[in-house]
Amino acid sequence: MNETVVELSRLQFAATAMYHFLFVPLTLGLSFLLVIMESTYVITGKTIYRDMTKFWGKLFGINFALGVTTGITLEFQFGTNWAYYSHYVGDIFGAPLAIEGLMAFFLESTLIGLFFFGWDRLSKGKHLLVTTLTAVASSLSALWILIANGWMQDPVGAEFVYTTMRMELTSFLDVMFNPTAQAKFVHTVSAGYVTGSMFVLGISAWYLLQGRDVEFARRSFRIAAAFGFASALSVIVLGDESGYAVTESQKSKLAAIEAMWETEPAPAGFKLVAWPDDEKQENAWQAEIPYALGLIATRSTSEVIPGIKAIRAQNRERIESGILAVKALERLRKDKDDTDAKLVFEAHKQDLGYGLLLKKYSPDVAQATPAMIEQAARDTVPQVAPLFWTFRVMVALGFAFALLFGLSFWYSIKNSFVEKRWLLKWAVWFIPMPWIAAEMGWFVAEYGRQPWSIFGVLPTHLSTSTLSIGSLYGSLAGFLVFYTLLLVAELYLMFKFARLGPSSLGTGKYHFERTTV
Amino acid sequence: MLDYETLKIIWWLLVGVLLLGFAVMDGHDMGVGTLLPFVGKDDIERRVIINTVGPHWDGNQVWFITGGGAIFAAWPLVYATAFSGFYWAMLAVLWALFFRPVGFDYRSKIAHPTWRSTWDWGLFVGGFVPPVIFGVAFGNLLQGVPFHFDDNLVSYYTGSFWALLNPFALLAGLVSSAMITFHGANYLMHRTEGVIFERTRRWAIASGMAMLVLFLLAGLLVGGLPGYVITSTVDAAALPDPLAKTVVMETGAWLNNFRVQPALWLLPSLGVLGGLAGVGLAILRRPLAGFVASSLAMAGIIGTAGVALFPFVMPSSSDLKSSLTVWDSVSSHLTLGLMFWATVIFMPLIIFYTSWAYKVMAGKVTTQYIEAHDKSAY
Amino acid sequence: MWYFTWVLGTSLALLLGIATAMLCEARECAHRNPEEN
Ligand code: HDD
Ligand code: HEM
Ligand code: HEM
Repeated sequence: MNETVVELSRLQFAATAMYHFLFVPLTLGLSFLLVIMESTYVITGKTIYRDMTKFWGKLFGINFALGVTTGITLEFQFGTNWAYYSHYVGDIFGAPLAIEGLMAFFLESTLIGLFFFGWDRLSKGKHLLVTTLTAVASSLSALWILIANGWMQDPVGAEFVYTTMRMELTSFLDVMFNPTAQAKFVHTVSAGYVTGSMFVLGISAWYLLQGRDVEFARRSFRIAAAFGFASALSVIVLGDESGYAVTESQKSKLAAIEAMWETEPAPAGFKLVAWPDDEKQENAWQAEIPYALGLIATRSTSEVIPGIKAIRAQNRERIESGILAVKALERLRKDKDDTDAKLVFEAHKQDLGYGLLLKKYSPDVAQATPAMIEQAARDTVPQVAPLFWTFRVMVALGFAFALLFGLSFWYSIKNSFVEKRWLLKWAVWFIPMPWIAAEMGWFVAEYGRQPWSIFGVLPTHLSTSTLSIGSLYGSLAGFLVFYTLLLVAELYLMFKFARLGPSSLGTGKYHFERTTV
Repeated sequence: MLDYETLKIIWWLLVGVLLLGFAVMDGHDMGVGTLLPFVGKDDIERRVIINTVGPHWDGNQVWFITGGGAIFAAWPLVYATAFSGFYWAMLAVLWALFFRPVGFDYRSKIAHPTWRSTWDWGLFVGGFVPPVIFGVAFGNLLQGVPFHFDDNLVSYYTGSFWALLNPFALLAGLVSSAMITFHGANYLMHRTEGVIFERTRRWAIASGMAMLVLFLLAGLLVGGLPGYVITSTVDAAALPDPLAKTVVMETGAWLNNFRVQPALWLLPSLGVLGGLAGVGLAILRRPLAGFVASSLAMAGIIGTAGVALFPFVMPSSSDLKSSLTVWDSVSSHLTLGLMFWATVIFMPLIIFYTSWAYKVMAGKVTTQYIEAHDKSAY
Repeated sequence: MWYFTWVLGTSLALLLGIATAMLCEARECAHRNPEEN
């Protein structure tokens, strides 16, 4: 495959996926906050909670529209830009995507219409049911897409079949209950819940600071504080679980996140900050907490975590074994009944992917030079510095959220948050932070998987479509233009309606309607 | 578990069902989008039109998304080859679809006339362009598409985007557009009254007639197109290997299935009769029955194209043996079975709550309704 | 079984949210008129 096409396809996927994930977390979180608000309305019968549901629902809708728009891009993109990938793993990967549509998107998208337009036509209870099902469905869509993504990180329940030249499913239950997918799902939806809570908390705090719509904002703030507190704790616990899953399945990612060049005696230390140097394969300097990493990552004091150099040396052996697998496969493609080739292939099948890594340097892997093999082995651990730092930003923010929501919740119980202006200001300033944390998280997960698109199975540089460079520049430019315009429109409306506040409902009860009338 | 061969055929039928679901459900709101700028003369009329599909367009669009997902899961080679081969056509569909979510949701949130009319045209693009392109795609499938696989099953598309726009394909695009417009018009009449109803009725009659004429014309031309035939023996239960067969091109071969199985002529007849009935019902002002008729017409027309191609899904004009068929572009036995059961379980549920949503929102959308819900309606 | 944890955890978090709101209505919010924004 052409190297530029691969680079541009990666850029396009990364950009459009990260863009999609600007809207996803708010949908996930805000939908559940709407459930809380509406439940309170149904229980207490106080109309202010209905107004809250409608107002935050309006903001929800503005965000949701772009979530849908950008999601379709991703669904298309596997076929348009990752054709070989789609062929190679479609047997496994396509199923969760299709089930996501059948089980989650249909429900979410059908009921969202009733959420907005069904207020006068449904009983209170039925409308609440609609809201709840929408929220559950949005989390279910996250479930299936993350099962798919978890499988890319940790491809269980499937094996390579040489007659069809692709991976085939052996156990759907393994794919569904993949521990990596489970940890990913709960961590990611919790991150969404934090995002939704931060959004409501921050905007409510802003109203309180301005002293307008106080009763409305005070109630919204409380609900966001409570839900956000639980979610922030869950993000940390499940983030730790994700880290544990990574230790199990992707030693290369863990070593890179930790900038751990040498294998250290167990339990290894956790580097708080460091300056990794990829050329020299060492850290220029570092500050470390002894034992911490070993305890977090392996949950034991004796298990050793391999360093980057050791991983590269090990992978070099797998690449050499993989060369034999690729050669045997080529013979089998010519003659399916070549028993000798079949034997060799079976013996080295588990390293096939590693052999394919060489195709980046030599289309005929049999011709690969030792220098190429060395380079391919080096590639198996991604660049360290970007992973090291993005991970630390995410984790630091995670703890900051726990603190912020913890305090907000505490002062809600004590009913003194309205006077704590520092807390309110903190909440306003923190509104963008969950997005930053989530984008960092995806970067860690996806960049950390390189050079693989399916870890250990299919290298990224083989996964693309055979497109021309011109097509890719063209589509990238198109996305750039469309997405910029859409974002401008979205932010404009979001700010406009957030500034207007509940007055935008036209009930006549809120701030602007009363000062102007 | 069902055997592999049966599942391969079931999946051909299911993909057909999903396509038809897409045409009936998303089709009607795309048709409404196509008509929007022409039928709605002022802002409030346009809001009436938009709100007939306002609560439903998103759910309907999922037919399309799920159709894509199902093709990915059941026919991964088709998904990979078609989407990457038709790169620019797919992007055009995608970018046209961008206008819908934002168009519906953002349009009426700001009162400025330029803002609103910009989004109205956006909704037009989102409703008009995709059906045309799908029609063009079908037109190209019927002529064969230039692609081939190498030894590792990497697919290479060797045509250009402009070659897709040949006369027969454009005709197919018009059939598709007329069909969707007709269907949308029937729906719109059912949900409106007064001048909007009357204007839409004229569009319904015109687009229904256009659909009939264009479909018949395309049908006549198909007989003269090169069709494709598998000449090696087919082992339908075998593991899929698209390179293991031989294929020849033969003029008129797309009619072979109809010759072998004359009952299949029912499908094109359904297309024509459904269309005639639909036009008649529009004249008689019976839009709900007309909606059923246009749905049947679409089943006939799409079914005709599918049956003509069978067992081909995507024939290759440049390397005949690379052609993708129902037998050799599919997933594994396990995946086909799994996805079959997933569909059997979820499809009835989907139909159930979709019908419920339409029932809750039933009734005519009127200008009074829009005035009373100025802040909350689209 | 993290899926199970999700079901349980989310339900509890929702209940916590509702409970906090009800607590407010029962105590300090009850003395205020919600119409007075
Ligand atoms: C963790 C959650 C998550 C992740 C990782 C993704 N999505 Fe997403 N997606 C959602 C969570 C979500 C959602 C919350 O369900 C959305 C966002 C807003 C919305 O409308 O639904 C959605 C919308 C959405 C839609 C529109 C659905 C509709 O019309 O209702 C499609 C087609 C996709 N997504 C497809 C994808 C693909 C192919 C992804 C991966 C490459 C992907 N999403 C990543
Ligand atoms: C919405 C959240 C997501 C974000 C922000 C995200 C981010 C990224 C990034 C940054 C890359 C580029 C990695 C690189 O090339 O350096 C990437 C690549 C990719 N991701 Fe994701 N990703 C997301 C979700 C997913 C999901 C859910 C899947 C699959 C189900 C997925 C599949 C892929 C694929 C196929 C590539 C391209 C091949 C590759 O580079 O490995 N992504 N994504
Ligand atoms: C103490 C806090 C946290 C820890 C220990 C943690 C840990 C992790 C780890 C190890 C990964 C990589 C998983 C993989 O590569 O497969 C990850 C991914 C991710 N993180 Fe975090 N994280 C924390 C906080 C946060 C916060 C606060 C957010 C957002 C609000 C967040 C959002 C994400 C997202 C969206 C991903 C990508 C999806 C995934 O792989 O699960 N994380 N996190």
